[in-house]
Amino acid sequence: MSYADELVAALGKEKVRLDPAERFVYGADWSPRTPSEFFPPDVVILPRSTRDIQRVVQIAYQHEVPVTAGGGLTGMLGGAVPIYGGIYIDTTVMNQVVEIDQRNQTIRVQAGATLQEVNDAVLPYDLWLPHQPESKWVSTVGSAIACDNDSTFGVRYGKILNCLLSAEIVTGTGEILELGHRKAHFTSSGYKLKDLLAGSEGTLGIITEATLKLEPIPRTRRVDMLVFPRLGAAVDYLNRLLKDGLCIEAAHINCKRRLKFYTSTYRSKHGHDPTIPAWAEALLAISFAGDPEVVEFQRGHALKVAKEFEAQLVEERDIVDSWWASKYTLEFEPFKQKWPDSQRLKKFGAADPGVPVGRLEEYYHKFVESAERHQLEIIGMNAYLEHPNSIGFSLSCAVFVDYRSEDEVKRFREFHDELSKLAVAFEGTMSTYMSDTYQKAPYLEVEHGASLKYMKKVKELFDPKGILNPGKKFGRRDRI
Amino acid sequence: MNSLDEFKDELETCFGTSCGFCERGCPVYQAVKIKTLCMKGRNRTMLGLLQGKFEITPAVVEAAFECTMCGNCDRWCALKNTEHTRAFREYLLKHGYEPMKEHASLAASIKNYGNPWFQPRSARNRWTKGLNIPKAAPGQQEVLFFAGCTSAVNKALVPGLVASAKLLQKAGIRFATMNQDEPCCGSTLLRIGQTEAYEELAKKNVERFESLGIKRIVTACPGCYVTLKKSIEDRGSEIQVVHIAQEVAHLVKEGKIPVTKSTERVTYHDPCHLGRLGGVFEEPRTIVSAAADLVEMPNNRYESRCCGAGAGLQSAFPKLSKELAAKRVAEAKATGATTIVTSCPFCETQLQTVPGIRVVDLMELLLNATEDREENGKINPGA
Repeated sequence: MSYADELVAALGKEKVRLDPAERFVYGADWSPRTPSEFFPPDVVILPRSTRDIQRVVQIAYQHEVPVTAGGGLTGMLGGAVPIYGGIYIDTTVMNQVVEIDQRNQTIRVQAGATLQEVNDAVLPYDLWLPHQPESKWVSTVGSAIACDNDSTFGVRYGKILNCLLSAEIVTGTGEILELGHRKAHFTSSGYKLKDLLAGSEGTLGIITEATLKLEPIPRTRRVDMLVFPRLGAAVDYLNRLLKDGLCIEAAHINCKRRLKFYTSTYRSKHGHDPTIPAWAEALLAISFAGDPEVVEFQRGHALKVAKEFEAQLVEERDIVDSWWASKYTLEFEPFKQKWPDSQRLKKFGAADPGVPVGRLEEYYHKFVESAERHQLEIIGMNAYLEHPNSIGFSLSCAVFVDYRSEDEVKRFREFHDELSKLAVAFEGTMSTYMSDTYQKAPYLEVEHGASLKYMKKVKELFDPKGILNPGKKFGRRDRI
Repeated sequence: MNSLDEFKDELETCFGTSCGFCERGCPVYQAVKIKTLCMKGRNRTMLGLLQGKFEITPAVVEAAFECTMCGNCDRWCALKNTEHTRAFREYLLKHGYEPMKEHASLAASIKNYGNPWFQPRSARNRWTKGLNIPKAAPGQQEVLFFAGCTSAVNKALVPGLVASAKLLQKAGIRFATMNQDEPCCGSTLLRIGQTEAYEELAKKNVERFESLGIKRIVTACPGCYVTLKKSIEDRGSEIQVVHIAQEVAHLVKEGKIPVTKSTERVTYHDPCHLGRLGGVFEEPRTIVSAAADLVEMPNNRYESRCCGAGAGLQSAFPKLSKELAAKRVAEAKATGATTIVTSCPFCETQLQTVPGIRVVDLMELLLNATEDREENGKINPGA
């Protein structure tokens, strides 16, 4: 009996999809690739429960068939694309809320729930999950953990790992494990295996349920934008605010080029791009949230200190609101939306390195130089503060890619690889929100050196036959 | 160039973007969770077909036809997704795919009877009995009331038409109808992919309206509203098309239709064709608010959820269609409203299939509020 027949016998036809059209749509994610670059799986599974997934993995283990689990397929580097075919598990079908514990401010959900669905569920309790990437409508809890993607509110709440208390997974042998510390916020006991899941890309186990820590919804929020003469000045300014004891909710440093990408709402209203002072090289979007009196005090202090850093407040609210709509509220003008609007000819592509805080400007110039050398149109750089109450940031070094051109896609990948390796040379890291995928797999040793062999041993423990999302992090030939 | 090639750039843009923001509000996808049945997956399916990656399979056919074309995906996007779906259906029919048997029946009925309901043309005329409405004749009238087939041939929906006509008469609007000569607007043909048949019909329709000297058409049905508007605009005609809610709302505002407001808690369901696809949101609310206590559902206006009746879903996928209706009714009940008011015959009949809440046509609600006033303010919430 073929593994597909076994899957049908075990789960029933409704959960096992074999039609080529239904398989095809899972063959690509959000990453820059030519329209013919689809890697459809051989079988698609629409599971309803952890047991369903366990059965699938058990059959795959027997037949040594690749198993890739995915969520909204909005990954920016092919993380959930089943490049070796096999079985694709569409976890979005599993989106049920298992438990909302209001008193302890936690939610237990199936891993296929989108981040927005989680927030819809807990809104009546005046709670929210502050891990908020722009893809929150589609990005699922499982994929947010497995990709370790970014969050608008990282400087106050961190990323998904800061919210993750416990997770259920199905390992590469089909064993069901619970990793974490139940509803306790942290632990000093044992090895923190749960933390391995962040950025694991489904290579250690398929996440099926998660317990997440929730936060009270702040009563008010004030968002402002300040312009600075240099990127480094914005970094110094944020450092000062943290030193002064302010609780910043969100902080994003944009280079001046990048603003254009976020302000389609402004353009459709005014018929032209927003104007900022000619001397401004950096724009800082910053928010404070909480009790109105406290928010006003913090904002007032932040604006007062800004003068010491040659910063100027952006007075035109439409610029700020347009950026915020694009970034967070997603209240687009009907029938318009920045993604397809801005990407009719070329699409967004990025490298996602992290560099030490003092080397942001130096790295920015390298980014521009690399993009120009690879003949890629520059969108700009964003530095998102993503570590609680610290200046640490992730970088989005973004360019437009003519994805209909094989040559340009190739140049983009070279650009991405160059910036990734350069970040390590800058004493930083290759990835801060997109993970490694197959793209960084060939040169992962650049970042991890000898420790890579320990990572392979960890992989072997969870997935001895190397069937889980093969080709990601490690080349498939490296499977244990 | 085939009907899908026209959209190739758009399909590739969706592939390039791949945001998937269309999934959240898609009523079908949220019910079935099959990726080919949301717009991102449907666009990819069309792209794969154009690339020759696979043949027309059962899943391809479902991707094309298991959709209400409610336009919710368009609301979150800059692409013309509903047009892609229409072209997808046309493509399949042109490539030798036989229409779904339910849809083939609809097309045959339109050809033979001028309506998709297998009702004789004379049925189109019954609702006007006793109303003393003149029949449209060349140069005799400027305003045409276009009843639409669904309400005209369905006894349960006739009161909505009668109310519309009475309200126009009360406000002193001079109008005519085409009685049994009223043609099919072509909406059904357009939605099920019978584009050639629609184009032929649309051409004839506009010629007839022009020859009658019509200046303004007032439609009772939102499907007729958007379809006639398209037919007329595509042909450069200057005839104005409005929905009855638009026509009447300003009469209410101007006091030409005096209304007594009741205390009944009602909610308004935006028909997809009138709201998202037609851009008419506030006029119906003006009317409802004048007649009753309006409470909104969480998903309203642009974010309104489809009742499940549209674009052939009701006929070809009745179980799913009913599931969508049940979801919408549940949303309405959760507001505490005792009545759903709507302004589309499809939505009205579809929502009435779910027990537990009263469903009333917008014009019936208004006429009742008007007649209450005439009866010295006596409140009669039950229409």
